[in-house]
Amino acid sequence: MRSPFAYVSRPRPLQSASPGAAVAYLGALVVVAFLYSSPLVLAAAGIAAALAGHLAGADRAVRAALRMGLSLALLIVVVNALVVNRGETVLLRLGELPLLGRVDVTAEALAAGAVIGLRAAVAMVGFAVYSACVDPDRVLRALRPLAGRSALTAALISRLVPVAAADAARLREAGSLRGPAAAPLGRAALVRRLTAGSLDRAVDVAATLELRGYSLAPPRPSHVAAFSPRGCGKSSNRRSRYDRRFYATGAALLVAAIVGKVLGADGFHAYPTVRLAIEPSTAALSALIVLSGFAPLRRGRRRVGDV
Amino acid sequence: MPEGLTRLRRSRVPAVAIALLCAALATAGCGVGAGDGVGEVSLTVTRDFGAERLAAPEAEAVAESDTVMRVLDRNLPIETSYGGAFVDSIDGLRGDRRDGRPYDWFFYVNGLWSPVGAADYPLRGGDSIWWDYRDWSASTRVSALVGAWPQPFADGYEGGRHPTAVECRGDGAACATVRSRLDDAGATLARPGAKGAIRVLVGPWARLRDDPAAAALEDGPEASGIYADFVREDGAYRLHGLDEAGEPVRQLGLAAGLVAATRRNDAPPVWIVSGSSAAGIRAAADLLGADRLRDRFAVAVDAAEEIPLPIPGGAGG
Repeated sequence: MRSPFAYVSRPRPLQSASPGAAVAYLGALVVVAFLYSSPLVLAAAGIAAALAGHLAGADRAVRAALRMGLSLALLIVVVNALVVNRGETVLLRLGELPLLGRVDVTAEALAAGAVIGLRAAVAMVGFAVYSACVDPDRVLRALRPLAGRSALTAALISRLVPVAAADAARLREAGSLRGPAAAPLGRAALVRRLTAGSLDRAVDVAATLELRGYSLAPPRPSHVAAFSPRGCGKSSNRRSRYDRRFYATGAALLVAAIVGKVLGADGFHAYPTVRLAIEPSTAALSALIVLSGFAPLRRGRRRVGDV
Repeated sequence: MPEGLTRLRRSRVPAVAIALLCAALATAGCGVGAGDGVGEVSLTVTRDFGAERLAAPEAEAVAESDTVMRVLDRNLPIETSYGGAFVDSIDGLRGDRRDGRPYDWFFYVNGLWSPVGAADYPLRGGDSIWWDYRDWSASTRVSALVGAWPQPFADGYEGGRHPTAVECRGDGAACATVRSRLDDAGATLARPGAKGAIRVLVGPWARLRDDPAAAALEDGPEASGIYADFVREDGAYRLHGLDEAGEPVRQLGLAAGLVAATRRNDAPPVWIVSGSSAAGIRAAADLLGADRLRDRFAVAVDAAEEIPLPIPGGAGG
């Protein structure tokens, strides 16, 4: 079974857009999540990322990322509550614990942990949508002019997750073929195996890229067109009609986020007591962020010749 | 072993683990909420080395989970940064540069600079908390001050009570006064050299300056945290008062005395009761008391005039 994070080609705007445009759009959502601590803005960024994934047909990736992101968020809340004693409202005193020292669980530490966790979840959803909707081969091609001698770096950036996802699918399949009497393959064992082999696999891909002439100068367009079916080699580097939309949305998000920050839209402080101020600028920015999630919406039928 | 018994044993393992964990936490002193009361603490908020009070001293009942930061937050509006670890502003007064000099908030518990942050400093009943907004261009670390009298003698410091050793190096009358005042303040007097004792050095500066802790005074406020200096002139040590910038702004008479405190690293604090002459030492010893030391970092006395140190509004100020 294919991993939910594996790229699937679909005739949708986000998949059709060039990698730069898709990264600018999804990256802007993640940057907003890292710029702001207001739960309202973070929730808006999460909704926008999930909406973008839904409109791009990556529902499985969004669901899987939400599951993982919320589990991680819960873990962050628990760890933050145990290691940070700050905050006015003490809920629980756990006394002196080994390694941790005196532990007071405060409402403020829980709130701060929740915000950090929410931020991590938004970043995971954004990355899941990227992984499921942006063709890694196109990313690799886009990276070649920028990092011709860095095949390993390029492979890590573009191929680490897809290769890991494919390996996970193979390992899971192999596990299920061991027969009904075999113990089920645990998730922890699978993750351990994938983590242990991820760098080796990326190095394998990098070596393959080198052998295929990744670092050499790109061939002339006419040559590529002549040997590519329907001129795919040429068209894959061509701009999409959706690029402008994603670039504009990403830029608008960043500008609005910076202006909002200056205007005081980020009215959240966890310490010393939780303070959440929802200003008109916060509400406006959140609404704009949610609206940006509709950027991958497909309008009408594609014209012939559009990518 | 029968399979049913094995399953029963397996099902009990988590329950036993949870019970053991709860027992361990209960033993460690866990509980719900802020916890039981541990007495009262006092909170003082001043600016410019105690020259101006921003909030009258308040007695505040504290619970076992209370910290310096929690008490401050309950009493005054504050803003923090670095995840609630650092106080940026109290009552709207923010750490800043003024006339090119850095100002910030510093806190002391029982007259001692704290080695840990306010958010991590646990409190005990009787503790005296003092927040001061001051110029720190001359001294980043004023490690001890005298304005929390009778602390640290009465209730100790950093979570424990400590005896007090008076080291008399001349002028028995002044030493007797010091011992009497300390006794009245509730100090537990010990012999000189007692381990872990707070040291009170009494005597003319010429005899105290051999002590490594006291000698830091001659190296300036950055080394000692004391805004005063003894300068040898015409065969005698004369006391000079320094301003907030650490510049000498007033030369005091031969009958001047000084009460100051300092601390080297984690060693017990050292109080200095000294002067240029016997009259100065006696005048300094007479200063020991809550009324005359309150809100002072250090105090000099010259011809019955009490001079707070650093001297406010000096040439550098």
